[in-house]
Amino acid sequence: MQVIELSIKNKLNRLKGHLGTDNDNQPTSVQKHENIADVPFKEVWANEGVYPYYFEDSYCLVREKEYSLDYRHGIYSFGQFTAAVDAWNSSSLKHPLSASGHGPENLFFFDTETTGLGGGTGNTIFLLGQASLHGSKIKLKQHILPHPGAEIPLYKSFLESIDYSTMVTYNGKAFDWPQVKTRHTLLREHVPKLPPFGHFDLYHAARRMWKHKLERIKLAAVEKDVLGIERKDDIPGFLAPMIYFDFIERKDPEGMIGIIKHNEIDILSLISLYTHLSFQILQLDERQTSREVYEVGRWLSTLGESSQAVSAFNKISDGESSEALDARFALAFEHKKHKNWDEAAKLWKDIAEKGLINMKVISCIELAKIYEHRIKDIGQAIIYSKKALNLLEADNGTEKVKIKQEDLHRRIVRLERKINRAKTSL
Amino acid sequence: MKVRKNLPEIMKQLISEQQYKENIVHWHTIEEKEAKTASLPDNIHPSLKDALQKRGISRLYTHQKTSYRTAMNGDSLVAVTPTASGKTLCYNLPVLQTIVNDPDARALYMFPTKALAQDQKSEINEIIQESGLDINSYTYDGDTPANIRQKVRRAGHVVITNPDMLHSAILPHHTKWVSLFENLKYVIIDELHIYRGVFGSHVANVIRRLRRICRFYGSDPIFICTSATIANPLELAEKLTEKPMKLVDNNGAPSGKKHFVFYNPPIVNKPLNIRRSATLEARKLAGELLKNKIQTIVFARSRVRVEILLTYLQELVKHKLGPKAIRGYRGGYLPTQRREIEKGLRSGEIYGVVSTNALELGVDIGQLQVCVMTGYPGTIASSWQQAGRAGRRHDESLVIMVASSSPLDQYVIQNPDYFFNKSPETARINPDNLIILVDHIKCAAYELPFNAGERFGTFETEEVLEYLAEERVLHQNGDKFYWMKDSFPAHNISLRSASQENVIIIDQSDIANVKVIGEMDRFSAMTLLHDEAIYLHQGTQFQVEMLDWEEKKAFVREVDVDYFTDANLAVELKVLEQDKIRASSIGEIGFGDVSVVAMATIFKKIKFETHENIGSGPITLPEEELHTSSTWLSFNRESLNYKQDRLEQGLIGTAHALKHIVPLFVMCDPQDVHVIPQVKAAHNEKPTIFFYDRYPGGVGLSEKIFGGIEHIMHETMEMVSRCACDHGCPSCIGTDTSSEMAKKDVLLILGSFKKDVNSAGDRIVH
Repeated sequence: MQVIELSIKNKLNRLKGHLGTDNDNQPTSVQKHENIADVPFKEVWANEGVYPYYFEDSYCLVREKEYSLDYRHGIYSFGQFTAAVDAWNSSSLKHPLSASGHGPENLFFFDTETTGLGGGTGNTIFLLGQASLHGSKIKLKQHILPHPGAEIPLYKSFLESIDYSTMVTYNGKAFDWPQVKTRHTLLREHVPKLPPFGHFDLYHAARRMWKHKLERIKLAAVEKDVLGIERKDDIPGFLAPMIYFDFIERKDPEGMIGIIKHNEIDILSLISLYTHLSFQILQLDERQTSREVYEVGRWLSTLGESSQAVSAFNKISDGESSEALDARFALAFEHKKHKNWDEAAKLWKDIAEKGLINMKVISCIELAKIYEHRIKDIGQAIIYSKKALNLLEADNGTEKVKIKQEDLHRRIVRLERKINRAKTSL
Repeated sequence: MKVRKNLPEIMKQLISEQQYKENIVHWHTIEEKEAKTASLPDNIHPSLKDALQKRGISRLYTHQKTSYRTAMNGDSLVAVTPTASGKTLCYNLPVLQTIVNDPDARALYMFPTKALAQDQKSEINEIIQESGLDINSYTYDGDTPANIRQKVRRAGHVVITNPDMLHSAILPHHTKWVSLFENLKYVIIDELHIYRGVFGSHVANVIRRLRRICRFYGSDPIFICTSATIANPLELAEKLTEKPMKLVDNNGAPSGKKHFVFYNPPIVNKPLNIRRSATLEARKLAGELLKNKIQTIVFARSRVRVEILLTYLQELVKHKLGPKAIRGYRGGYLPTQRREIEKGLRSGEIYGVVSTNALELGVDIGQLQVCVMTGYPGTIASSWQQAGRAGRRHDESLVIMVASSSPLDQYVIQNPDYFFNKSPETARINPDNLIILVDHIKCAAYELPFNAGERFGTFETEEVLEYLAEERVLHQNGDKFYWMKDSFPAHNISLRSASQENVIIIDQSDIANVKVIGEMDRFSAMTLLHDEAIYLHQGTQFQVEMLDWEEKKAFVREVDVDYFTDANLAVELKVLEQDKIRASSIGEIGFGDVSVVAMATIFKKIKFETHENIGSGPITLPEEELHTSSTWLSFNRESLNYKQDRLEQGLIGTAHALKHIVPLFVMCDPQDVHVIPQVKAAHNEKPTIFFYDRYPGGVGLSEKIFGGIEHIMHETMEMVSRCACDHGCPSCIGTDTSSEMAKKDVLLILGSFKKDVNSAGDRIVH
């Protein structure tokens, strides 16, 4: 009787096709027991300014670098960052990105690199990078995970270095910080608590400001098209997981150094971006385009900073450019908010003749409302409602129409009923 | 005017009128049962007591009380409860009382479907509301809005979810559920019996992951399971949760007198042994009941049959009862729609419900007087669940099971003793199926790194972890294994389907309404869904217009032809590893791992009735390979001393008969086990019949067959010999055999093994 004994591993190899682990790579040899505290390629690291940080019987790697305030990163020098914080402090504007009440040294700029894209417990952060102002220098500090077992020293090192009030990130509210919290939860028995922070997420600000000109609001695109930053020999971020997997296997820092430098640029760009956004919002940038002024105005308007919004719109409301028309249209709504019906009506009458289809139609409807409710001239209200309807009917579909014809029909019917009732009651 | 008959009068009519009487093969009466109750436990919070009393509960049924005591004592338990016996109180009571005692305590409820979860949420919330206690219970599933998810995670005392959500949304994000996992006191698994086969094996691994995470956060919850009647509730619960369990089976709910009628439609074609369709007979019976305004539920095995029955019955009573008096239930109904049916039944506006077996799953629509089953539902357990739909607590009720012509139905209908006396099916799972296990070890490693030497449930992980490290899925550092991939493993792993994609069957008869009517595993699809195949779906003929093998889609159109197709599948079966063997003078029974390589070659068109070959064509599909576990039955050549072709015919017929009886014994879908005859098996050169698990790696079905093969052979022999046909028919050995001797040979083959094997003594090799 022949019995073929097979181990689980042999079975696994036989079932490979069903296991979904198809891998073109050669199987790796597993290094089981290395001396935990030995730092491979120590000299190579040292050449890059990277040194181990020891905690208990383990270590992480830390890279520190300093920049003077004269250092230019794109269109700004870091000295201008302190100017931006000063500007907030001397402005009365209430804004979510306002540094009012803080010194420039209270902010820290933060970005991570991870082994995966989405959220989830198993997505490991292998690089925590931060930068902030110390005296007359910008100090960059990066905490690097040398192998997945070294998270305790990694977070220990990080948590010792973040005594700040506010964190500045790019999409950190949705990604980086929740991921830090997730990994921290796994270690919470071994490391100090995460301190609470204010959080400026510049991604949402960038979206508001530049979605009109950028297809995707990735940091790299903002750097290139807005901040004048050029990256040389940059390793794209999406390669980070693969490079890290290779690094923990081979230990050779070569690829990792590329990722570390990529992270460094990301963080430095956050400083320039914050500087630029501050000057934009406070309207201190002489090169600000009318479109940017308009977007700032809209943002201020949604924040309820009406007078600031009006002054932004006023700046660009002259002339017949599309920004000027947009600004006048927006101004009309600000006037409406303050019940300045005459001012609002004047602007809408102008736009009803000149704007794009949606602006024209909405202006007519707003005029109809003013005539109906404020001036009590139902006849004029009907005229403007019909005008809006004619505009829609004549529309050749270049723009997605926001108002439905039925709604206008309904408005006209209602107004006509009202006028007839008024007649019969006379 | 004709007087309406009541149920006893209808039953009298069934017994006395020739048109019914001759078809009734068995009439079984189950006497009524009084309620057995016990007082409410003393330590229940007065508000909770109040809430129960408002709902008319002043005493508990005995099984509810035992469950409460067991759980409060800190023991996990499985309560076996028939339909409508108040099972939810078995867990709601200890859970609510525990939360009253400790407001930090948390409970996780797991239901197999979203619909059931919704139902249970309403139920538990009603009690909470009436008690006025400050307890939050929420469902957490794909429909939970993003803005309340955070609240559920943080403040939900009771979180109601399903295994899929637990697998892909809760466990991989456990750090967001810290307050749940730190304080988890109870895990409730309702409808335990659903967790069998591949699905159950997956869920067992999800529970291993759940318990691993609980350990990380320092909790060790009590498990409370409820199950319909199956043979091994305790074993299943213990295997699924890997916790010691107490069995609670002292059901104290009352039941009225119940009549269970086995109804076999008359034979319409004697030589071919064809019976009148079960659907037509069920229609006739249900029509008679509904005309007399007797509330009836009709079960059909497919949605299409539900439609046919529904249309007919609605037409029949339209003028008498109104068009809304009979409702269809096709599964996937929202709670509000079900409530409407339930309300209609109670108020008497609705008389009939026609349902697929979706309703089996614990969804409550209230009780009716009569249940008509169109065909045997496939297992004893689900038959009892369906039968449980008829019968209010104190009234008499009637259950009629109408058999179809399939061998399984015919076996059951002719063996009432088997049905009523044998314990119901055993539910099998195999959490250690390597493919399923490896998938979940990946997910588990994503959730928390593995320590070398750590067990995953009861499984020793060492070799799997090393394998995954070699494959660069995990990274070993010191004595820990870390997830090292940029993907999210749970997204690629579905609990409900096999690892390999199935072929989706798309009906394009109506261009305006193209719809998916079913799916089939790739292996079966090669012979049943190739181009030009005639595919029978719930009794309707479809022709396959195109099989898109790349996309795994078969496009079919309804046709009406007088032939069927039969494809040749060249199967090469290799025994890779022999784990167990029993030998005797007749032959041997083996169990082990096999490789199945199959290739469809040609198909024939065969005319009904005459079985003439009226055409053929080639099939061009790639070879498929499957590694799985198998049990085989090899005969010594001298014990089957026939000529080659008679031997072949005999084996084919035997395989056909076995194929239909096997699912009955291992509690699985007929597609889950394949039966293949070989005149000369490659590994021992003997005439052999192979049974193998369809799922790669096997889920324990073949192993179960190995253990009970003699019994299966014996029962199959009885079924074939009882069949009224002359030389074999679709209800016994199939029509693939052409020899007139086939039926006799099949009986000889089935009879040859008898008890002989056991007497030779087991020789088990590991």
